[in-house]
Amino acid sequence: MNEAKQVEAIGKTSATDRDPNTSDKFSFWLAPGVIVNPFDIVQVEQVSHEGKSETFGLVTILEHRTDSPTHLANFISSDFGELAEEPNTPRQGTTVANANVLSNSKDIYMPVSSDKVVNFADEPRIQVALGIDTMETADRIPAGLIMMSNGVAAVAYVDRRYVLGPESAHVNITGISGLATKTSYAMFLIQSILQKTPQEERDKIAVIILNVKHGDLLQIDQRPERGLSVEEMELWERLGLEPKPFDSDKVHYFLPRGRDGLPNCFYEPSPHNVYAYDLENTADKLDLLFAQVPDTYFTQESIISEIREGIKNREPDFRNVHSWDNLLNEKPLFDPQTHSAIREWRGIKGSSIGVFRRHIRRMIKTTQSGVFVDGLHAHEKVLSDEILKIRGGHVYVVDIARLYEHEQMLVFGDLLRTIYKLKAEPPEDRETSPPEKIIFFVDELNKYAPKGERTAPLTQNVLEIAERGRSLGVILVSAQQFMSAVHPRVTGNCATKIIGRSGSAEVMSTDYGFLDKEIKSNVTRLSKGELLLSHAVYRQPVKIRFPRPAYQQQEA
Amino acid sequence: MPNPLSPIVPILDLLGRELKILPATGGAVEDLQHPDQEEIEDVVMTRGDEQIAAFSETPEPDVSNIYKPTPPLFRQEKHLFRFFIDGSIRSYFLATGIEGTRSFPIELAQVGATVVRREDTGQVNVYSHKQKVLLLLPKQNQGISDTLWDKLRKIGKPDFLEIIDFTLPDALSDAKRDPRDKAGAKARSEMHKLEIELIESTDTARNEDTWLILDGSVKFVEEDIWESWKSRSSPHLIGVAKSFRKDPMFQFGQRPSQRKDITGILAGLPHAHRTAAFSADGGKIAFWYVRLREQKELDYPLMGVVKVEIPRPDLSPVPAELADLISRVLVAERNVTPYGLDHRWHCSLYPTHIAEQVIKNRFYSKDVLMGCIKWPKP
Repeated sequence: MNEAKQVEAIGKTSATDRDPNTSDKFSFWLAPGVIVNPFDIVQVEQVSHEGKSETFGLVTILEHRTDSPTHLANFISSDFGELAEEPNTPRQGTTVANANVLSNSKDIYMPVSSDKVVNFADEPRIQVALGIDTMETADRIPAGLIMMSNGVAAVAYVDRRYVLGPESAHVNITGISGLATKTSYAMFLIQSILQKTPQEERDKIAVIILNVKHGDLLQIDQRPERGLSVEEMELWERLGLEPKPFDSDKVHYFLPRGRDGLPNCFYEPSPHNVYAYDLENTADKLDLLFAQVPDTYFTQESIISEIREGIKNREPDFRNVHSWDNLLNEKPLFDPQTHSAIREWRGIKGSSIGVFRRHIRRMIKTTQSGVFVDGLHAHEKVLSDEILKIRGGHVYVVDIARLYEHEQMLVFGDLLRTIYKLKAEPPEDRETSPPEKIIFFVDELNKYAPKGERTAPLTQNVLEIAERGRSLGVILVSAQQFMSAVHPRVTGNCATKIIGRSGSAEVMSTDYGFLDKEIKSNVTRLSKGELLLSHAVYRQPVKIRFPRPAYQQQEA
Repeated sequence: MPNPLSPIVPILDLLGRELKILPATGGAVEDLQHPDQEEIEDVVMTRGDEQIAAFSETPEPDVSNIYKPTPPLFRQEKHLFRFFIDGSIRSYFLATGIEGTRSFPIELAQVGATVVRREDTGQVNVYSHKQKVLLLLPKQNQGISDTLWDKLRKIGKPDFLEIIDFTLPDALSDAKRDPRDKAGAKARSEMHKLEIELIESTDTARNEDTWLILDGSVKFVEEDIWESWKSRSSPHLIGVAKSFRKDPMFQFGQRPSQRKDITGILAGLPHAHRTAAFSADGGKIAFWYVRLREQKELDYPLMGVVKVEIPRPDLSPVPAELADLISRVLVAERNVTPYGLDHRWHCSLYPTHIAEQVIKNRFYSKDVLMGCIKWPKP
């Protein structure tokens, strides 16, 4: 890296009557030939009680201004619209950069004076600007690389205490699909967290990953067949991380059972476990299946509640109910002798029970992928039982990519409840204590915690994790295309937000209120591999790059 | 940061103690510049040249056609003009002073001049800049007493601050009668002195390929510099006036029909053409007019025309080739234009406009000035 470039002056601050510098913002003009881009970090001299201090700014937008008062003046200056004529003296103009104040080295937030020389910040100053210097070295997790227009690069560290707790927690990633960025970034961040955690501590962190698309996350323990490019390898190295897949002996795959009893997945990793749902192990989760079913008068909820309690307590009504088939075609919900629906059960009208049966038949019988079984095979696992046995230092990938939506809801909710239960009330039969931290990654969060007035039971579970997971040690790493489609209490509780390229209509929604107008316009221009990182420790979001995952990814 | 104009405070204190002061409304009133100050100056400086009867061009032009085509010659082909000088002035009426039975204005003026240099790329840089603050007072029998003048002279002052007696004779102020106008004219004379200093600062850099354009007439240039030009084949500078007197008559022969006024001449001057060069000031100056813009683009036939003056210290006529070259290069200067910023945009030269902006942006603001205008309370 060119040392001379790092300290070169690029312009001078400029405050005018109409456009003053403030505690939050300042402007500076650029010397001719200087190239500056949004998200570059600059440094400018500031006063101090003793000596001088440095104020750091994040460039948000650049404007080119000339002395022409109107476009008409420019038209006239081109000889009334002559396209070919080049003026003898180019019109006076300069590019003015607007910067948001990131921080001051001595906590002085006086407005920056006019006519102060502005420099590109070098790597140590970038870290001071972001507050990284105040993080304990052990708490620094590389979250990406800040790359400036002058070639200077600096690692953007996030503070472990704000990602895994106790200060705050959770990470949310948003951005349009098709750029293969959100999942890759989540996996990169998880790998960064694990690699930068000392072995002893790492053994106390378990990771649960939901695979929702293709076989993207079903080979995370395999090296990429094509290898990584030299640039990607350098990026990994620059971040202080090792480009390697997750350890094979610590990755466990759970695949859903298909109709033929074989795993229902896009790729079959080896080894793997197959999970399925029978009635007995699903009775207390029926509400998750009904997450998308409108229930204005809570009648479905009443039926679900009666069934759950009936099966759990082995009530006489449910003596003959051992399978999904029994539930549909036996008493108490159906009279097999008369082959007719019952008129009333426990004060619930027969018509409501009919509705319940129709939904159950649709979800369990006619529109199911094979994950629902009347009886479990010896090799088929109960997912919640397996999750209750998770160990720190291990990664659990649960595939739901080929499941129907209601099945995905069930699995996701099942996992959430199980994790919550594991942390809140650890089972007595566990030989070891549960992992201190459980990182739970899920894509398409908008399905499970949609924005809206009605809060479904599943959404309630997500909110529980978002609001109380930090104290329990359950960390949600979530992603979705549109943040505006997700319940604001979930995203609001994420101390770290990652934003990929998004449409202008999306970023104009109130959910992006934490971004300045100028920064929002930049979000629409982010390219593949570029993300905006907003972290609790930083005063302003920064633009980062990150390397491709170092594991085999299935082509879409 | 102390007020940069604070050295004026002890002077005003002294005036306040020794004179009866009637302060201007609001402390200071900016004197608005006459919109055609240059034209007025041209009238004053060319007094005696109302009748133009001789050409100053060789070979002598044909009287039947005094217009010559001068298509634009752009910088990329011939970068002749490298230096551009402009001066600017901002003056304020501070108070009326009364001493005995004499009353007179007390004026303050900021005068400045800048020369910018244009590089090969077309970009301009400030080559040199000078500015002064002038406290303009009358001495003599309509002004302050000798005693008070002596006291004023003894007060320590920084170099940029001068006390000027605006009754001292000079061509511009002599033409004025009103004391405030006289003070303004004196300030303009001081501004021209700064311009002359800046012309001299480019002496070693100017040559046949590197010329200078002075905004306005070259006639104000004092005699001593004319002496120094006599030793050179050409001073390699021209004056370009955007505003000029509209009353000269051109006599191309003995008959009355051979007499033309300037409006008639300029109305017939086609776009990218020049007139023949005429002689003025006894042959010391050759001048002609160049049309920079099409008449159809403008409201009035005299718009879009500049008057070009070239010193001829040896009284020789200007070679037609040189006048053509200068005119062609000037036509190429028509763009960029400060349309919307200067009502004389149609005949402005953009580098000169930049030089003017440099000066104006370096003047102290009225707020700074008001910060030190504190007359002692009676």
